[in-house]
Amino acid sequence: MSKTLFQIVSEVMNIPIEKISDSSGPESIPEWDSFNMFVLLAEIEKEFNVNFSLEETLQIKTVGDFRKKSGVV
Amino acid sequence: MSDEEKLSSYITKSKLIHNSNSEKKIRIAILGGFTLNGLEETMRVKCDEKKIQCTTYVSAYNQYNQEILDEKSQLYKFSPDITFLIIDSRNALGKFFLNPYSISSEERKQFVEDKSNEIINLAKELVKKSKSKLVISNFNIPSYSPIGIGEVQEEFGLHDMIRSLNENIKIGLRSEPEIIIYDLNSFVTAFGEQKVFSYKQFFYGDIRISLDCIPYLAEELIGYVTAVLGLSKKCIVLDLDNTLWGGIIGEDGFEGIKLGDDPVGKSYVEFQHNLLALNQRGILLAINSKNNFDDAIQVIKDHPNMVLKEDNFSCIRINWNDKVVNMKEISDELNIGLDSMVFVDDDPANIEYVSSNLPEISSIHMPTEQCHNNSKSIRAISSFFNVLKITNEDKTRNKMYLEQRKRSELKTQVGNLEEFLKQMNISVHIKNADNFTIPRISQLTLKTNQFNLTTRRYQEQDIRKFSQNSEKIVGCAQIQDKFGDNGITGAYIVNKDNEQQWTIDTFLLSCRVIGRGIEDGILCHIIEKARKDGISQVRGEYIKTQKNQPAENFFKNFGFKKEGDFWVFDTKNQFKKPEHLVIS
Repeated sequence: MSKTLFQIVSEVMNIPIEKISDSSGPESIPEWDSFNMFVLLAEIEKEFNVNFSLEETLQIKTVGDFRKKSGVV
Repeated sequence: MSDEEKLSSYITKSKLIHNSNSEKKIRIAILGGFTLNGLEETMRVKCDEKKIQCTTYVSAYNQYNQEILDEKSQLYKFSPDITFLIIDSRNALGKFFLNPYSISSEERKQFVEDKSNEIINLAKELVKKSKSKLVISNFNIPSYSPIGIGEVQEEFGLHDMIRSLNENIKIGLRSEPEIIIYDLNSFVTAFGEQKVFSYKQFFYGDIRISLDCIPYLAEELIGYVTAVLGLSKKCIVLDLDNTLWGGIIGEDGFEGIKLGDDPVGKSYVEFQHNLLALNQRGILLAINSKNNFDDAIQVIKDHPNMVLKEDNFSCIRINWNDKVVNMKEISDELNIGLDSMVFVDDDPANIEYVSSNLPEISSIHMPTEQCHNNSKSIRAISSFFNVLKITNEDKTRNKMYLEQRKRSELKTQVGNLEEFLKQMNISVHIKNADNFTIPRISQLTLKTNQFNLTTRRYQEQDIRKFSQNSEKIVGCAQIQDKFGDNGITGAYIVNKDNEQQWTIDTFLLSCRVIGRGIEDGILCHIIEKARKDGISQVRGEYIKTQKNQPAENFFKNFGFKKEGDFWVFDTKNQFKKPEHLVIS
């Protein structure tokens, strides 16, 4: 039922899931601007029922950072 | 108000819009006092779903003041049809939002007065410098106060400041025909401040309406777009069992159905009250129900807790016929398109059946598992009927449709059309465009689809401009007969091209008065006027649409000759004036 992290990134950034890895970030995904980053954050929080602090939010630079901070697999 | 999709799904969909089947166009500008990213994308998707081709302009972050004041700004270059100015209490109060008590109550009053005037002037400037309608948000009253429970004791405190701002702009902008206030405060109340305002999103990116709520906000704002385009619906078609009352009349019987008295019955009574309110502002009600006619009509006529009476329904179909067939009959009898109807039923199978056969009809599923009359279903229903201004015709429409029912009864009795028309004692009263008739004339151009020769849509401000132009004649017709007043149901715009020729730019008649020779009467009036002014020819166009077939042969039958794209009438020619009408 629940989506994977890559699925959510793929939907929010509107890019194929194959192109996503833990090192994906603003450099490799052109759609990753500060607003889309926040849309992504809000959806990850909802889907995995986690809550990032504002400080954590600002430290997130890649998909892998989301994984580390939220503890999702 | 149905549950919304996620913002990201709207953003994704917005990239796939092709506008291949759009029927209407609109230019929308969004000015925000804070980050409103995603709103524009969502509105474009929602427009596309309604077959509206929408072009948008979003002003740079918090640049609304400059955009409005500078007449060379991008905003005016874009030339919107409708502009949304969304600002909040933080924008309005600035540093006093957090520290209102650093100044005296007198100073706070002065500040609010100055601020109100500033916002009122800004709004007026925008409509003066453009031909856009302006939808401006009011201010949400936060639960927050820097002094906590002391807030209510304070003279002209923070909350009073915002209340007063809202009141001032409401009064200050009320008489502006092109400005409408959007009740953002109610939006925040409906969804809850904690859901709408997320501190994290606010500090992160100055997002003051949370990403989750943006699609809901877009849905509300689209209501203004459909209202401007005249896409509002006209009629609610209702099921009976488990929709107007609880239970099934055929099984539970007159005494067994739930209507009033018990908790479930109360929700149906309240639902009927909501429908009555819509009916009183001009939304037609009709019934499409599978039932024994006698059983169901007895409830409508005799049940002590029925709020809606038989006369509230313009058309009643209680039978065992196919619901789709009934739906078409209702559309024919009321003379309104299927796309003007909203079907309300508790049975998802019925909804599915009707909407798969008649996709033009919008439908609402009444939830049986939830409370019947909940704010969600009421919001969902009323959102189909948004109009910017309720005219007198709207308020009396229901009565006029009742009279219509009696007219068709007479027609069946008399049998002969000529004799019927004579007995009707029809009078056509021609009026010029003035402050009373301009809103209605605009509304007619926006809403009339069938007897409309050119289907040119005009906003109130257009009509107002035309009426001040000495090269144009803007008129309308109030139709009365022995059954009552049909109100202003015809309108025309004539361009005085030169000393010899006039061109009919717009000529339309509301569907409920078609077929009584009234159109000929109004055209006679125009031609006689042209004759008097020494004009030798009057010409007009018929611009074909999917719906205006009833007007196709109008000019030809009157005696106009086709010349290129135009139908031309030589004013020296004779024409037959309808004898059964009194034109004044």
